[in-house]
Amino acid sequence: MATAPKDFRFGNFVGSLVWLIFWVIVIVSLVGLPLIFIILFYVPLPYSNGEVLTPYLFFSMIVDPTRTIPIINFLIHTDIFRAAVFPGFTFAALIAAATIFIERKFLAKMQLRTGPLYAGKFEGILQLMADGLKLISKEIIAPSGADKPIFWSSPIIYVATAASLTALIPVAPGWVVADLDVGLLAIFAILGFFPLIALLFSWSSNSKYPFIGGLRALHQMIAFEIPFILSALSVVLVAGSLNLTDIVESQYAFWFFAIAPISAFVFYISSLAELERVPFDLPEAESEIVAGWLTETSGMIYGLIQLGTYLKLYVLAALFVILFLGGWMGPQIFPQELIPNYTGEKIYNATVVNGIFWFTIKTFGMIMLILLPRGINPRIRIDILLHTGWYKLIVLSFINMFIVLALIYGGVITPAGGLQ
Amino acid sequence: MTNKFSDSFEKKLEDTTKLGLEVVRESAEENLMTLSVGPQHPGSGHFRFIIKVDGDYIVYCDPDPGYVHRGEEKMCEYRNFIQNIPHLERPVIHDSTHITYSYSLAVEELLGIEVPRRGQFIRAIASELNRQVYTLYWLAIYGIFLGHSTMFMWPAGDRELFIDLLAALTGARVTHAFNIPGGVRNDIPDGFKEKCLQYVSYFEKRLKEYEDIFYNNPLFRQRTENVGILSKENAIKLGVTGSVLRASGIPYDVRKVEPYDVYDEIDFKVQYMKTCDSFARAYVPFLDMRESCNIIRQLLEKMPGSGEVRVKLQSNPKGRIGEAYKRVESGRGALSYYIVSDGSSRPYRVKISVGSFRNILALPHLLVGSKLGDMPSIYWALNYWPVEADR
Amino acid sequence: MTTPNKIDDKNSKIKTFESDLPIENSLYNEISSKFHDKVQLLYVKPKRIKVYVDPKNIVEVASFLKKEIGLDHAESVCGTDYPNENAIEVIYHLSSYSREELAPIIFALSTKTDRNSSYLPSLLPLFKSVEYHERETYEMLGVYFQGHPRNERFLLPEDWADIPPLRKDFRIKGR
Repeated sequence: MATAPKDFRFGNFVGSLVWLIFWVIVIVSLVGLPLIFIILFYVPLPYSNGEVLTPYLFFSMIVDPTRTIPIINFLIHTDIFRAAVFPGFTFAALIAAATIFIERKFLAKMQLRTGPLYAGKFEGILQLMADGLKLISKEIIAPSGADKPIFWSSPIIYVATAASLTALIPVAPGWVVADLDVGLLAIFAILGFFPLIALLFSWSSNSKYPFIGGLRALHQMIAFEIPFILSALSVVLVAGSLNLTDIVESQYAFWFFAIAPISAFVFYISSLAELERVPFDLPEAESEIVAGWLTETSGMIYGLIQLGTYLKLYVLAALFVILFLGGWMGPQIFPQELIPNYTGEKIYNATVVNGIFWFTIKTFGMIMLILLPRGINPRIRIDILLHTGWYKLIVLSFINMFIVLALIYGGVITPAGGLQ
Repeated sequence: MTNKFSDSFEKKLEDTTKLGLEVVRESAEENLMTLSVGPQHPGSGHFRFIIKVDGDYIVYCDPDPGYVHRGEEKMCEYRNFIQNIPHLERPVIHDSTHITYSYSLAVEELLGIEVPRRGQFIRAIASELNRQVYTLYWLAIYGIFLGHSTMFMWPAGDRELFIDLLAALTGARVTHAFNIPGGVRNDIPDGFKEKCLQYVSYFEKRLKEYEDIFYNNPLFRQRTENVGILSKENAIKLGVTGSVLRASGIPYDVRKVEPYDVYDEIDFKVQYMKTCDSFARAYVPFLDMRESCNIIRQLLEKMPGSGEVRVKLQSNPKGRIGEAYKRVESGRGALSYYIVSDGSSRPYRVKISVGSFRNILALPHLLVGSKLGDMPSIYWALNYWPVEADR
Repeated sequence: MTTPNKIDDKNSKIKTFESDLPIENSLYNEISSKFHDKVQLLYVKPKRIKVYVDPKNIVEVASFLKKEIGLDHAESVCGTDYPNENAIEVIYHLSSYSREELAPIIFALSTKTDRNSSYLPSLLPLFKSVEYHERETYEMLGVYFQGHPRNERFLLPEDWADIPPLRKDFRIKGR
């Protein structure tokens, strides 16, 4: 694919655009539209406001805003929308993409340089798109002795697991993809998959440096899962429930950060270790073991794993916000009605929008706090890391659990939040 | 999969045995893992060392330099004294002043000439500026090896100040070809002294920040303190030089021990530490940089206002019959030249003894018995520049 | 090409004996009083002194230098090829870290061996710092050091199949 590009001629460019449009029209009209009609012949269409939602109705309703609002209302509350767009995968992926860009700019400013500057008109804002296109166009090289099925499927499993975590995070009251009674426990259960996936991928790479990196990832993630769970338990003791929506709603009187600051600290350090971020990025220690368990990744496999990592970053930051910083609780700053004296159906719900706003602000603040140590610290060594994880953090989280228990039994805090 | 692997394994054994590397077979027998921290490694530079690892502990280390061996010493015998300067700079491109400084001193002894005083001062100023450039680069790479990206960016940025000064002085950012036998090529430009003093005082403030943010960082200290202890007796026995020697409690600096040019008129202290660990080896260059700022100030003050900077030589000077051995304190240690001349215009033999080549002897001594995670902090703290050691 | 160690009266040579150098002269007096005619002084310059020893006596002289005088490390080991005299000269440049007054002095201990069958006793048991230098001299000049555990190639590539490169009959291609 490496050929010298020809000189740019405007006529050729216009010609290529015309060809593109031609082929799009041919394929859509000869293949696409008949396929759609055949499917619609067999698939039952949903009901909206007492009418069957045919595509023709859909297109006609776009013209008249008041008739589209019921459709949008309907669509927003379907499961597909929740899982795929908001608060599910697309929302999380957008936040992950924004995180990657913010990380590069933030670190650059700390290091007295500018970061991405040239992609896009404004301060390199399209850098991510450029990187994504670059990764897609690269060749994926699998080592010759690699275990092919595991090598090719591990990154996809990684992204799928990270994306499934986003299904459990409540963003606003009533807006969560899967409202489980054991939501917190489900998050920890899914998080327990990641060391296994890292180990499988590094083993299947059939090389020494990924092997060492995979073992380090295993040690690190397992060591820090215990303080992770224990620090969240302090919050569960006060809230009295494992359901994440209930935990947020029981913070109506005060945020749990006020009574469990040590647990918040332990949770923060453990989430840095779970995410393999500096100072805990031993599994990918560049100067010792080339790139650790990511050595043999190239092209889109690397892209998928990075996407999975940043989705996990969003999930853990959101989890911190839910457990300790009051989730979506915040002063109501949005007016109750956008257009006064409007009696028709509305999609705008003041509490929901307020909740989304505060949640996003707090999550971004937490994400910046997780990004910060990368500019300040060098990498830690494995024996110091294991010592910290197994001794110090477990002790600290127990201390806070006892404080919280004392406060509850002393009558200062009622169970399910609220002061006495 | 086993069949495909086994017949090529026998062939691999045969080949490596022929090449003299029996480590693969031995380590397979002893249940160890052989890692080649080789040239294709972000943590090694243009250099390879083979380590055998038992779990997390290193049990064997064998340095294998020679990837950038160019035959500098042989090439010197084919060119005359002045023609040798450009290719002699290439082993250390960013610290090129010292390797030509030492050569010029030795050749001046063979030719029997003495450099005018202003030329000596300019040579010393260029040498000190270059020492800052090299040490900042070394500090930046040390940060990368430990995983600290800010420790890479800040020194790399501050290094640009000194590179600007050197570019104004000599015309090139690196590999200046500024020192020649007989003096320096040209005089300092106008406004150089003020800019230099301004940059030096800005840099001293930055050094204070480096100390607070990098050296007093608890994680940095954890990674480097009590790691790779090189005791004083071992340092003397192994014959290490430069900051590695000074970090083991021996205050030896060639500028003080055997002052060359105008260094006997400059008042400075030799910086050394007694703790002998990797942190001391990382801290001594920092102290050297601070001391270097003082030296630059004194040199600029004491420089004679005018005068020749170079002895005018004939176009192809013939050296007197004899030999000369001169040394200089470079960024990595004592850099010595031993030049033998037989009366013609080309040297008969040039032997360069560089600090990197002498310090690499400490690497197997320090790595064996330490953890794999300590490898970057031990290896780079030895101030080893692979290209210079290979010459 | 005359070797630099022949003492001539030509004016174009560097002055090789200076009498007002107390430390260097006293150093030579100590050595010559112990070894009499086994050592031969070649020159004394400010801070530099060069002494010639036969290969069969070099270990004895070197151990005296290390234990009694206190020169504890070698800065470099240099081999030079003199095809006219059919000899390869190997010089050990010794210096001292532990004795302060000897620190500026570089003591060059030189010895010669035949070009065609070049064997020398290794000083590795005495000075650990010569390990890699002797190995380099072996591969660059073909001098075999008896007692050195690894007389192997060090800087040259693994498939080097030519004569040792620093010998004078190895010509760089094209020059």
